[in-house]
Amino acid sequence: MNRRSGPVVVAVKLLLTLMYGVPILWILLTSFKSSADVFSTQSSFLFRPVTTAYVEAFDGALLEALRQSVVIATGTTALVLLLAIPAAYGLARTRGWLPSLGLGLLIVLQMMPQTATVIPLFQIFGRWRLLDSTFGVILADAALLIPFATLLLRPFFRAVPPQLEEAGSIDGASVLRTFWSIVLPVARNGVFTVGTLIFLLAWGEFLYAVNFFLSPGSYPLSALLAQQVSAFGINWPGLMALAVLTSIPILVVFTATYRLLRDGLTVGAVK
Amino acid sequence: MFTTRSARQRRRALALTSIAAAGALTLAACGSSGEEAGAGSSDDGDAADGELSGTVTVWHYFSEDNQVGLMDAYAEKFESEHEGVTVENVFVPYDQMNSKLVSSAGAQTGPDVVVFNGAEAATIALGGALAPMDDYWADYADAGEFPDSVIHQIDGTTYAVQGYVNLLGLWYNAEILEEIGVEPPTTLDELEDAMAAAAEAGHDGITLSGLPQSQGEWQAYPWLSAEGFTYEEPDAGALEAGLARVRGWVENGWLSQEAVTWDQTVPFQQFTSGGVAFAENGNWQMGAAEADAGFEYGVVPLPLGDDGQVYLGGEGQGIGAFSENPDLAWEYLASTYYSPEGQVMAVEQVGSIPARADAAGDDAVSSNPLLEPFAASIEQYGANYPAPNIPPAAVADVQLTVGQAWSAVLGGQQQAGAAAQATVATLEGLLAPQ
Amino acid sequence: MTTQSAPVGAAAAAVRTRRTDPAGRTGRRRPRQVRLLFLLPAAIFLGLLSLFPLIQLLRMSVSAVTSATLNQSWDFVGFENFAEGFATGQSTEALQRTLVFVLVVTVLGMVLGLAAAIALRSRGRWSGFLLALMVFVWALPPVVNGSVWKFLLGDAGLINTLLLDSGLRDAPVPFLYDQYWALMSVAFVNSFAVIPFNALVFRAALMNIPPETFEAAALDGANRWQEVRHIMLPAVRPTTLVLLVLTLVYGFRSFDFIYVMTYGGPGTATNTLPFLGYLQAFVRYDFGLGAATSVVTVVGVLVLAVVYARSIRREEAES
Repeated sequence: MNRRSGPVVVAVKLLLTLMYGVPILWILLTSFKSSADVFSTQSSFLFRPVTTAYVEAFDGALLEALRQSVVIATGTTALVLLLAIPAAYGLARTRGWLPSLGLGLLIVLQMMPQTATVIPLFQIFGRWRLLDSTFGVILADAALLIPFATLLLRPFFRAVPPQLEEAGSIDGASVLRTFWSIVLPVARNGVFTVGTLIFLLAWGEFLYAVNFFLSPGSYPLSALLAQQVSAFGINWPGLMALAVLTSIPILVVFTATYRLLRDGLTVGAVK
Repeated sequence: MFTTRSARQRRRALALTSIAAAGALTLAACGSSGEEAGAGSSDDGDAADGELSGTVTVWHYFSEDNQVGLMDAYAEKFESEHEGVTVENVFVPYDQMNSKLVSSAGAQTGPDVVVFNGAEAATIALGGALAPMDDYWADYADAGEFPDSVIHQIDGTTYAVQGYVNLLGLWYNAEILEEIGVEPPTTLDELEDAMAAAAEAGHDGITLSGLPQSQGEWQAYPWLSAEGFTYEEPDAGALEAGLARVRGWVENGWLSQEAVTWDQTVPFQQFTSGGVAFAENGNWQMGAAEADAGFEYGVVPLPLGDDGQVYLGGEGQGIGAFSENPDLAWEYLASTYYSPEGQVMAVEQVGSIPARADAAGDDAVSSNPLLEPFAASIEQYGANYPAPNIPPAAVADVQLTVGQAWSAVLGGQQQAGAAAQATVATLEGLLAPQ
Repeated sequence: MTTQSAPVGAAAAAVRTRRTDPAGRTGRRRPRQVRLLFLLPAAIFLGLLSLFPLIQLLRMSVSAVTSATLNQSWDFVGFENFAEGFATGQSTEALQRTLVFVLVVTVLGMVLGLAAAIALRSRGRWSGFLLALMVFVWALPPVVNGSVWKFLLGDAGLINTLLLDSGLRDAPVPFLYDQYWALMSVAFVNSFAVIPFNALVFRAALMNIPPETFEAAALDGANRWQEVRHIMLPAVRPTTLVLLVLTLVYGFRSFDFIYVMTYGGPGTATNTLPFLGYLQAFVRYDFGLGAATSVVTVVGVLVLAVVYARSIRREEAES
């Protein structure tokens, strides 16, 4: 692991840096352009930078939307992990037709086009009086992401050596306690990764937010971003500036979990 | 932004161009115009009794500054006229508007007022999201000021009326035309000669949208109709001629084939960034032109000959089917979108053409030289959007079919002839009375 | 998933387990049953919120549903919607395009995802920065990523400018407006969007390899390729399976980049099944037809799911 990187590794890293660095650079450059410059200086670095887009993006609505995004993304991540972790563990440790059917159903649910779920969910929420509530959006987002999270978590639980658990149960620990104190710590790399992914996906989800909130006062950041695009045109600098602003919290969350992942390495390596 | 526009208007202040008024009057002539209703007399009927209170929720899909500003100004106007009334403007992304309206209707809820793409009136009304407006409209003293083409009727019931129209014209870069020494074209031949000369001088000829959907169809229709294509009698030969002509522009290098990926905004942004002689685009771009174009520009009607038609588009305004206070919703519309002052506000803020005959004669219209050619286009080429003979349930299908053919030919996926044959065959099925 | 059948299934599973278990483990019925209970919360939750939409979708696909009848009772039309889709040839063409599209997305997404995970396994500033960058890009909404690539791939975009200026080409590459290039371009951008995700998950699997394993391999004089082949690939195998399925599913349902970049164009050249379904349901408001297209896609993926379940069983038999 501490060996020096070979030429192939460097080449792959260079390719990826270009592939992901150039679009980001382009986003940043555009966010500092005036809308007149967007087309005339498409592929050049020479333009007069302006911060108009950022100044316009910062209004009272932004903070409110940020709060809303945090609530939705955190709530969704918590709910998804709460339900998907046991489900993934259960699916990893059982056999027979029932878990197979469960896995198949999860894939079918994962395949459902999100657009096809909006209208039925709208009807359900209308009946349950959950329209226009943050809780409703969290429920919908969780239903959207649980199949994904469960499928993704399952191999991480399978990778936990069963001997560990058996040692636990010989000591007389209950299944629940074995799961909590032995399995979960070993699978934490996977849980953290999946948790991060769920948080990011919930952060960016906007179809449900736009449809289930009836008033824009409760829109999260992702829905504000959608406002930059309309039938009458796209405010390119505004879109890019808002994209940068709304993604900064993402970067913070990711950097934090990245540290955890790194520190968790030694704990995770049990054998 | 608003101040710069006024300044420009003063700078360019020209004499009243009678054509603008004439164009709008022609609009009115199709309707049952008769009496000359006094301006502003419409909205004071119920306002005086002061019984109205509550909140008007207005769903719209505007996010452009000027258009949002107009919505705010309307809200302010109505609130100042009615003590205790609040107007809540709710932005819904354009892509989500129709499905959100229809799913809300399914849950027996929805806004008080809907501002939507007029072309999609049938979809929304059939989806049960709009309340019939017949009673209000029948009692409306100023109804005669509105032409038929802005009144959306589905199966004999009025569901929405447009306060203004939007349409396409031919924007030109005056500096390029001067450089190549041509006047703004009045015929298709002149247009093609000018584009050839512009290409010769190293410029692009024209920008337009070739997107395979309703925007593409909206932009294609003028050129297709110029060759005699109509939805009343769809003719494959005429359609082929229209498609082949514009494909020819691509092959000659006057129009970038990239147009198939452009919506209506991008080609105008290309135009304002310079280097393009012409743009087929709408009156709603005046703000963008003013803000972004670093050259002299102007507008003429699209040069479409005798058969050519230009759609009269714009947003329809209707009352939500599940509005708790439809009377208040109607008052809001009567005071804003449908009133002469409200329509003049729309001219000044957004540059849209008033639907009312009296508002079209206002100084705000006549003092704006860029509005003149659009008003002239209404008179010369104005056509109902969508074509009245398309069954309401088939409108979206027809637009998608023609939009895809337009894009397929411009993008070289299909030959004009094959695309025209296939399209007309599909259209015959869609246009048949059901 | 009925609760009644759960104990039966569990018991059957337990019996089979005992029979196939390698020596060393005594069959314990109770824990196996108890572990099935772990599925219960998620099953109830999804049963409440996801089953109804799924049933509605299936019902819609065999009914005549337009915006006018969406909120009323639906007329049953049998398989008319399916027949119509294939009769007009739209579904068949879209299916072919979808297969090409999914193939490109999957191959690029998996190979580059794994390559990225291996390359980024090392600590260090570059790796940390690059990983953060990739996740940042992945988390941006498709409208932003799609628009950026639309600009980069345009005639006046960076890539064509570089190609023209360097003399590699005389004319811009028609990335988005030639029918063949366009499909490849949207497929590339879709894999661009899935690579960070795959890399992150592969990486998490790689990090579960105990450092001692590498140390032992180094002592044995293993070179880098041998490390990859004999240590890393086996370690990511279970993850590979699920990622493959998720990437395939992603390819089979992705329409937002197509929406932003080409809108299915030029003409119908990038109309894949999910985009066709979108057009049918939300542009033409023929919900029945759109639902039928979605169901065709789901069935296609179900076939893949069966393959997945089979390989899982094999994986279990081996372990």
